[in-house]
Parts: sequence; C-alpha cells; structure tokens
Amino acid sequence: MNGDFLSLLSSNPFSGLTVGEKCPELLEATTVFAFHFSEGVVMAGDHRATAGNVVFSDRTEKIIELDHQSLIAIAGSPAVAFEMARTLQTTFEYYRRSQLQVLSLPAKVRALSRLLRDNLPGTLQGVGAVAPLFAGREPDGDVPAIYFYDPLGAQFEAAGFAASGSGAGSIRSVLHYLTRWGKPRPEQLDRGGAVNLANRLLLTAAQFDTATGGVDPSRGVFATIRLLTSRGIHTVSEKEQIAAWEKGGGA
Amino acid sequence: MGEGRRGVIEEPYRWLEAVANRREYIQDQLRGATPVFAVSRPEGVFLLGAGPGRTKVFEIYNRHGMAAVGNPVDMEKLRQSVIETAHMEGFNRSPGDVTLRRLVGFSISPALKNAFEQIVAAPLIVEALFAECGAARGEDVLARVGYDGTPEYPADGVGVVFPDRERERAAADWLAAHLTDGDGLARVRGLCLAAWSALMDRDAVFDTLSVPEPLPVSLPDHGLEIALIDRASSGPAQYRMLVDADFSP
Repeated sequence: MNGDFLSLLSSNPFSGLTVGEKCPELLEATTVFAFHFSEGVVMAGDHRATAGNVVFSDRTEKIIELDHQSLIAIAGSPAVAFEMARTLQTTFEYYRRSQLQVLSLPAKVRALSRLLRDNLPGTLQGVGAVAPLFAGREPDGDVPAIYFYDPLGAQFEAAGFAASGSGAGSIRSVLHYLTRWGKPRPEQLDRGGAVNLANRLLLTAAQFDTATGGVDPSRGVFATIRLLTSRGIHTVSEKEQIAAWEKGGGA
Repeated sequence: MGEGRRGVIEEPYRWLEAVANRREYIQDQLRGATPVFAVSRPEGVFLLGAGPGRTKVFEIYNRHGMAAVGNPVDMEKLRQSVIETAHMEGFNRSPGDVTLRRLVGFSISPALKNAFEQIVAAPLIVEALFAECGAARGEDVLARVGYDGTPEYPADGVGVVFPDRERERAAADWLAAHLTDGDGLARVRGLCLAAWSALMDRDAVFDTLSVPEPLPVSLPDHGLEIALIDRASSGPAQYRMLVDADFSP
C-alpha cells in the first residue's frame, strides 16, 4: 500500500513482450521533440510509424498526456513505448489516488527511467528499443522541465530543447542554431510562433528523413502538438495550428 | 453423549452467537458516526461528508468515488483495496471496464463479508457509499455496502450512510423528495447539510422537516468534504473536490 503501481503490477503479472524465433519487421515511430517557449514547453511529433521501408501508419499519436502535469513523446518501438506510456499513466494516477498526493517530478522522471531499464533485454535484442522524451513540472512549479533518455534508462535534463527519433538530427541542428543566433530565440516565442516553428521543424526533418512524415500543412495535416504551461496541458487543435501557420506566412 | 459429539452440535450455535456479538460490537462502534451522502445530479455525482479534509470522501478511479463512515484505519484498508482493484482492472482491461457493480461484486462485498464472518480476526468497522458517474444521469450507479458486505443499490439517485438505518432511509427519502433537476450545487449542498443536521438531532422527524431558509452552507464545528464526479470533465479523471467558487450562482 505504498502507492507503487509497478510493485503491484509485478505481483499481478500482466503479459509482457516476448520475442519468438522469427521476428517480424519491427515498427518504429519517429520523430519527436520538445523545446521551451515563453509560456512553458512545447512538445510535438509527426504521425508516421514505419516498418523497414514501409509506411505502416501516418496517423500515429506520439505525444501522450500522462497526467495534468506531464507529457511523454515516444520514439522507437511503439509496442513497448505505448505500453510504457500506459503504465506511467496508471502509475501516476494510482499513486495520487492511493497516497492522496501527487508524485513529485523527480519520481516521475525516474519511473520512466526504471521502465527503460526493465526493457533492457528487448533493447539489447534490437526489438524493443525506446528513446522517449519527458516533460513535466512540479504541481506548484511554474517552469516545466524537459528530459531525454538513452535506451538503457539514463536520464538527462535538456537545457533548451531535446529531440528523438530518426529525424532528430535535423531538428537538433535547427534548434541549436535558433537557440544561439535566432531573433527571436525559441524560448522567446509566443504560443503561435512556437506552434508554427514546431510544424516547420517537422517539415525540415521530413525533407531529409523518409521515416518522418504525416505532416503536410498545405493539405491541412498538422503535427501533434501539446503545450505544458503553468496552467496545465493544452492540446493545440487543428484550427489553432491553421491560424498559426497562416499568421506565420504559410509555406 | 461423548465430549466430541457435544462439540460438533454446539459449534454452529457458538458461531451464530459469535456473529451476533460481532454485529452488536460493530454497530456499537459505528454509533457515533456522522452521515455521508451521494446524490446523482445532472452535473455528475455529488458526494458530501463532514470532516477536516480527505477523511470521508475519496476518489477511487476515473469516474468512481466513495464516501465512508467508520474506523479511519478500516476505511483506509477498504479504500486502498478498492483503488488497487480498480487500477489493476483498468490496466489489464480498459478504464471503461471498471464498473461499480463488478467492483462491489467481486472485490468490496466479498472482502467485507469475509472480514465480518472471520470471527477469530478483527472485523472491518466501516460502511460506505460508492458512486459511478455514467455518460448520462440515468447511467449513474450508487451502491451502499454495509459492514457485513451486503450491497444495496439506491434506485432514486440518493444514497446515505448513517448508523441508524431507519433514519438513514428517512433522510434519503426526504432528500429525494426535495431535490429537483434544476437545483444548483449550492442547493444540493444545503439540502444535504439540512439532512445531516437532522440525522444528528435525535429529536428531528423527517416527516415534518421543512426545508430551512436560508439553506445552510456549513456545519458548526465540522469542516466539509464535498466532491463532484464531473460528467462534463474533459479528461479521464472526472473526480474533483469542490471549492467555494463551485457554489456561486
């Protein structure tokens, strides 16, 4: 009764990920990123999931709300990543309800680290590696933080931005440039500017990475974008994205 | 007649006597409890109890809450048990599969009945109201579970737990008769508080009890724990504690 859902889960086993002798073509989900803007953190991702050179889905939601104060962006094996997100959602809510208090931000960050570490066999076999991003804030905290992980569970707090997935290289480069020489820099952008930048970053990544896709503002197909601010989490609607895109000058 | 044969004959009687003693003991322990209420409303399910905060009214799962009376340690045991069951069920199946009738049927009632009839172990001194908020008001489910595990499902959308069952039913009937769909949360709170005060007043008679004007907004010497399982909530977790601003017109 200590509020630890993972302990509860281990005493009530649920079917885990098993790998047969013949491994099917593995699904991968890319590309996700997060950066600070003037109100908090924007976390965004494309919609594409690939299996080898096949586009498996262009409607994948990779930015997932874990609770009122935290978001996860998944990159890597969706089978494992979605299960991790679901486990964390239940873990955070179970703790809040049973202990009558919200889990602290460091504990949430480490909960994800623990799940990644527990996934080590899958990671080493190359069938279930996940490299997620996490954004969260303390219940009474104003400034949210961004964390990124390696597939073995090491956690790092990002100074201004983080990106993961096959298209992350392009996005990191652009965000590094903007953070150093941008006028305005990403952390100075208002909500509309940040939303616009997120879509542009994904289009840039898609230019150089075939596994990044499912975003095409000219056809009205936008990224998944969620904002974490001191007021909580806001999912940016398609209507808001269209307005930001048009205000930013479109394509 | 041999000693062993007499033991066999006497044992059921001793067990019945022990159970009767146990019932008397639990009822005696519950005697000083203050009432708790659950009311199905157009806005959701309204829960009310008197306490210093988070001692009687609790969130269980996305659309489930509880209000209980009894020993605080036993209330906590019951609360933890049902939260654990609901989260395992929601994780292994889906949140939509967590239903109050199943929670009561396979978890809450058997646990309480077992604790009540295990005469060599300490009983659970607790009685509780459980509430499930449906998509529409007609789909709300309220359950009153007694200390012996007996479940009852109030059909009129009003649930009350109070140690005196006769007065408990009178209070529920009085509330059902005076609540209307158009009532705001402030009036629901006021009527529940009026019923609360009447239940605690041994001389009050519900048949002749009129609605006080103005309606009470608080209780002397008691804090209030009021929650709403909000039907209009946008997120999965619909339960929220109500604050003063929620009662303004």
